[in-house]
Amino acid sequence: MTEILTYLGKDEQFEKYELFFGPNHPGMHGNFSYILTVEGHTIKKVDPDPGLLHRGFEKLAERRKWMQNIALIPRICVPEPDINEVIYSIAVEKLMGVEVPLRAQYIRTIILEMARLGSFLFGFGGIGGATGLYTASYWSFSDRDYLLDLFEWLTGARVYHMFIIPGGVRRDLPSGWIEKLLETIDYLQKRLYEYDRLIYNNPLIVKRLKGIGKLTKDEAIEYGITGPNLRATGVKYDTRKMVPYAAYDRIDFEIPTQTEGDGLARATQKREEFQISLDIIKKAVKDLPDGPVRAKMPNPLKFKVPKGDVYVKIESSRGEHAYYIVSDGSDKPYRMAVRGGSYTAGLVLAQKILVGMRIEDVALWMATMDICPPDFDR
Amino acid sequence: MEQKELIKYIQENFKYDKNIQKIDDKQFSITVEKDKILNILSFLKLLDFKQLALITAVDWIKENRFEVVYILFSYSHIQQILVKTFIDRDKPEIETIKTLWEVASMYERDVHEFFGIDFIGNDDKRPLILHNWKDKPPLRKDFDSLKYSNKIFGKFKKDEEND
Amino acid sequence: MLLTSTKDLKDKGFEEILNFFRKKSLWMLHYCTGCGAVELPPTMTSRWDMERFGMGPMATPRQADLLLITGYLSVKSLKRVIYTYEQMQEPKWVIAFGSCPINGGIYYDSYSVINRLALYLPVDLSIEGCMPRPEAIIDGFTKLMKQIEKGEAIGYKKYKENYEWYKKNQREVLERTTPVLEQEE
Repeated sequence: MTEILTYLGKDEQFEKYELFFGPNHPGMHGNFSYILTVEGHTIKKVDPDPGLLHRGFEKLAERRKWMQNIALIPRICVPEPDINEVIYSIAVEKLMGVEVPLRAQYIRTIILEMARLGSFLFGFGGIGGATGLYTASYWSFSDRDYLLDLFEWLTGARVYHMFIIPGGVRRDLPSGWIEKLLETIDYLQKRLYEYDRLIYNNPLIVKRLKGIGKLTKDEAIEYGITGPNLRATGVKYDTRKMVPYAAYDRIDFEIPTQTEGDGLARATQKREEFQISLDIIKKAVKDLPDGPVRAKMPNPLKFKVPKGDVYVKIESSRGEHAYYIVSDGSDKPYRMAVRGGSYTAGLVLAQKILVGMRIEDVALWMATMDICPPDFDR
Repeated sequence: MEQKELIKYIQENFKYDKNIQKIDDKQFSITVEKDKILNILSFLKLLDFKQLALITAVDWIKENRFEVVYILFSYSHIQQILVKTFIDRDKPEIETIKTLWEVASMYERDVHEFFGIDFIGNDDKRPLILHNWKDKPPLRKDFDSLKYSNKIFGKFKKDEEND
Repeated sequence: MLLTSTKDLKDKGFEEILNFFRKKSLWMLHYCTGCGAVELPPTMTSRWDMERFGMGPMATPRQADLLLITGYLSVKSLKRVIYTYEQMQEPKWVIAFGSCPINGGIYYDSYSVINRLALYLPVDLSIEGCMPRPEAIIDGFTKLMKQIEKGEAIGYKKYKENYEWYKKNQREVLERTTPVLEQEE
């Protein structure tokens, strides 16, 4: 059938035309655009057009005090905002030499993993949306709400929490919260098997994902691909394990890897890491020590950070999210550079890997790579 | 290699002027001259620092110079290196490294847009993020964001005329 | 009542009937302009289930009634949003989410984010909060429905009447030829 559809006569040629894939396109993840040069159905050239979500965070952070920035930075990455607060707090603590209490480290770990679960659930929905399996998105968005309810109980907000601050966390866990968290974890564990049956054992999805955007180990490292997408190509590296932060050095967990490096491997990798995150939360709750949740910090509106610079990265669900922070010894950051987790994948790798694919693969490729426009538009 | 050995190896084998500073256990910085940037980066790439995580710049307006920072990472040594160099603010030019890493080209385009630094050899200077930008590059320290915003977006009075 | 002539169709009574049906089937454009869009999936799916109000996402602007400005709007997006708005067929309505389109919100001093959306597009309804909860969104939608039924949501007519004024404001931001701040040499 396909042969007949794509059959061309000897002197015939498909006409070349430009297709604006996004920003207003149902397959687009967020407000972002690829300008595709297409021949028939095949993509010949890709030109990313970011900046539709640009807010100038790097400039705004320079205008605000160290503590005021906590309210600003979660907005850099919308599906998983807590990573930003953690990176920023770690950077400030490193520059000031503050020791964070152990209980706060464990609470941070729990929050980070919850945010990660939420982001993975969003990803399941994305794969469902791109393949026409809307049941997956309906399920995953409503399951994500259980996590958001816990966040709301803890911090008062559903999406932007501003809970993690330099020196620790804002306040201790409310009573009864841990029990509810464990209940939710058990529920998500049960649901994971349902997702297996719906997505990962579904022959249609497996066949559709196979071979999408295949990457090798070397290519992935060369292009700066990180996180689950890197591990899907077979590199056994996880920032949480190798350069530990929060309480990850005290929690034992596996690093799953895949070998194929294609869309299916990336999706499977995310499913495996979902399981790991559930395990980490369970272990962190079990070991949760008593004690204070905040180190003693100077007056939050006045404190100054000693001169210096530091690059802090953490493992987000879409790769290495990092800040490079420079202080000149004043009460405001001198420079804050943001490295979004999907910067290189969305802007550089896309130019190479999408060539030769068909138009309908773009949305799916973006879903499996977890391209998140706000983190490279900043 | 451990960090100590690594620093020792770089001290011994990289002949040009450099200043190595430890930041923490997994991270250190190397400051080199502007024209040795390609040498040090290719030297480090051969040393298995294969991931270019970020290229960025800092505007030190009081000293009238830009600091360009290249952030590398090695998956075998588990070490982060910040390679730094200073360039003159009046003549902001530096060689491109897009021959070493393909991703560098996009980072350089980004830095060119936000700081006005020219990367010699990288001709891709199309605007990437900003729309119809006519002012000085926004991340320079002498660009006042609030003043700009008030002047162009803060036209509240006109609205009253309309009602 | 039997409607036979065009005069009857333009009758005030018939307009009311039209408005009644319009409010019962609002299609919102599937375009996420900002971070408020992250609360739309929960609103659309099982927990808050927007479809019980007869609302659903629509992929193309030509068949959509409702344009959601979900949060801040950068200058680059503004251009696309204006294109999109002008492609939509009447009657059409604009809802602004969060504090950013009202006065700039947390981005009041940003060089890239507009401060007040009402200068460039007619806004029928603003939902406050950063970001608005799904309950607030649904509350906003029902308020808009009431406005439509009463015939008060007439932003698109205002846009046509004051077209020159809106275009002038848009051009000032989008088609500048000179720097905004004086170059000090």
